Amino acid sequence: MKGVLPVATRELQSFFVSPVAYVVLTLWSILAGSFFLSSLLGFLASQEQTRQLAAVGHVSQTNLSDGLVLPFIGAMWIVMLFLLPAVTMGLFASEKSNGTEELLLTSPLTGWDIVLGKFCAGAAFAAIMIAIVAFFPALLFAYGDPEIGKIASGLLALFLVSLAYVSVGAFASSLTRNQLIAFMITLVTLLVLGMLMPFIVDAGALGGSGEPGAVASAARWVATGHHAERLLTGLVDTSDVAYFAIITTAFLVLTKTAVESVRWR
Amino acid sequence: MPAISVQDLSKRFGSVLAVDGINFSVEPGEVVGFLGPNGAGKTTTMRMLTGYLPPSNGSVQIAGHDTFSDGLAARKAIGYLPETPPLHPEMSVSGYLRYVAAIKGMPRAARKPAVSRAIARCGLADVAGRVISTLSKGYRQRIGLAQAIVHDPPVLVLDEPSVGLDPIQIREIRGLIEELTAPLGAPSSARESGVDRQTVILSTHILSEVEAICDRVILIDRGVVALDESLASLTAGGRRLEEVFSQVIAGDRPPAGAAS
Repeated sequence: MKGVLPVATRELQSFFVSPVAYVVLTLWSILAGSFFLSSLLGFLASQEQTRQLAAVGHVSQTNLSDGLVLPFIGAMWIVMLFLLPAVTMGLFASEKSNGTEELLLTSPLTGWDIVLGKFCAGAAFAAIMIAIVAFFPALLFAYGDPEIGKIASGLLALFLVSLAYVSVGAFASSLTRNQLIAFMITLVTLLVLGMLMPFIVDAGALGGSGEPGAVASAARWVATGHHAERLLTGLVDTSDVAYFAIITTAFLVLTKTAVESVRWR
Repeated sequence: MPAISVQDLSKRFGSVLAVDGINFSVEPGEVVGFLGPNGAGKTTTMRMLTGYLPPSNGSVQIAGHDTFSDGLAARKAIGYLPETPPLHPEMSVSGYLRYVAAIKGMPRAARKPAVSRAIARCGLADVAGRVISTLSKGYRQRIGLAQAIVHDPPVLVLDEPSVGLDPIQIREIRGLIEELTAPLGAPSSARESGVDRQTVILSTHILSEVEAICDRVILIDRGVVALDESLASLTAGGRRLEEVFSQVIAGDRPPAGAAS
C-alpha cells in the first residue's frame, strides 16, 4: 500500500499540467455559477407566488434548502456526469500511450497500489469540484438561514456519486490506450447506469403483465439516479450509501483485473 | 546465487512461438550482450525478465526471486530501460526521477540523494529542472537510463540503450554504461548496496559496443539461444564478432532453396 501515495501524487500533478483540468474546472465553475443563479431566480419567483397565495389565505412555505440548494446540487450532478469522464479518461490510457505502463508494471507496485493511487487522484480532483460547488450555498449563510444538514448531505451525495463515476472512468481508461474511447465508454456507461437503465428495462417489460417485475425493480436498484435523488433530498439512508460503496468497489476490482491482465495476458 | 537465472523460458503469442525454451544464467557483476536479428525474441525475453510479460512456460529468477511467485522482490531488484524510455513528458527531469525512486520502493529519506546521484551519473545536471517534453532524444535516452539506475538495483536490463542516437551520443551512453559496470574504484564508490558491480544485460545491434563493454555474449535467433560464450573466447585468434555472428546465424538457417 506504500505505492499508493507516489502514484496518486504524480497523477494529480499531471492533471494540472494538462489543459483538461483547467478546461473542466472553468466549465464547471461557469456552469455552477449559472445554475446557482437560475436556481436563485426560480426560488425568488416561487417566493413571490407564495406571498400572493398567502394574501388570499392559502398557507404554504418555501425554504432555502429545498427550494434552492438541492435543485442546484441536482443540476451539478448532471453536469458532473459529462465532465468527470474527461478527467478520468487519461488515468490509464495515457500511461499506455506514453509507454510508461511498462515502468509502472515493472516497478515493485501491487495492482492495488496502482489502481488505488489513480482512484485517489481522481477522487481528489472530484473533491476540488465539490468544493467549488459548496462555495455557492455557503454564500447563503451571509443572507439567510439555510439548513446546514441538508446542504451537507446534498454535497455528500454529490461526492459519493463522483467517487462511483471516477471508479467507472478508471475502469474504462484501463481498457484502452485511446483517451477519446475511454471518455465515450465512461459517458455511455454512466448514462445507462445512471438514468436509462430503468427506462430500458421498463420498456422491455411493457409487453408483459404491466406490473413491474423483479427484473425491473432490480434494474431500478442498480440505477445510480434512483439513489442519488434520494440522497439529494437530504435523506442519508445506509442503503443508498452502501449502493455507492458497492458500485465504486466493484469497478475498482474490475479495474485491478484489467490492469493486471496486461501483466498476465 | 546467479543474478539472473532463466529456465526453459518460452513465450507464445497466439500461434507464434516468439521465445522457445531458452536457458541461461548470469553471475553477479557480469555484463552480458544480448544479440540477435530483429524479431529474434530479444525484447520479449527482456520483458519476461522484468516481469512485464508472463512466460508461457518456464521461469525466471532475479537475485533468487521468482518473477511469478515473488514478483515484488524480483521487480525491486531490477532496473529496466525499455525500448522506448518510459517518460512522462509533462514532468521535470528531477520530478520524474523522484517519482521513479518512490515507486521503486525507496524509503523517503534515501530518494533525494539517489536522484541527485542518478542525475550526476547520467550527465543531466544541466537539464534537471527542465520539462522532459522539451528535451532532445539523446537526453531522453539518458533520462531513461537514469530512471533504470536511480534505485541502485543489482540487476540492470537495458533494451537497445543506444538505438536512434547519433554517434557521439552513442559513445556517451556507452561510456555511461561502462562507468556503471566498472569495478568499484574511485569516487563513484559511494554505493550502499553490497554488490560490487551491477549485473547488466543489454541488447544492441552495435557489435563494437559489445566488444567494448561486454564480458559475455548471448546470441538468440528465432527464439532459441544460438550462442552463449565469453567475449574473450569468441574473439580469440583475432576473429571479429561480425564474422562470428554471420557464421552462426547463417549456419543456423537452412539454405534458402532447401526450405519447403
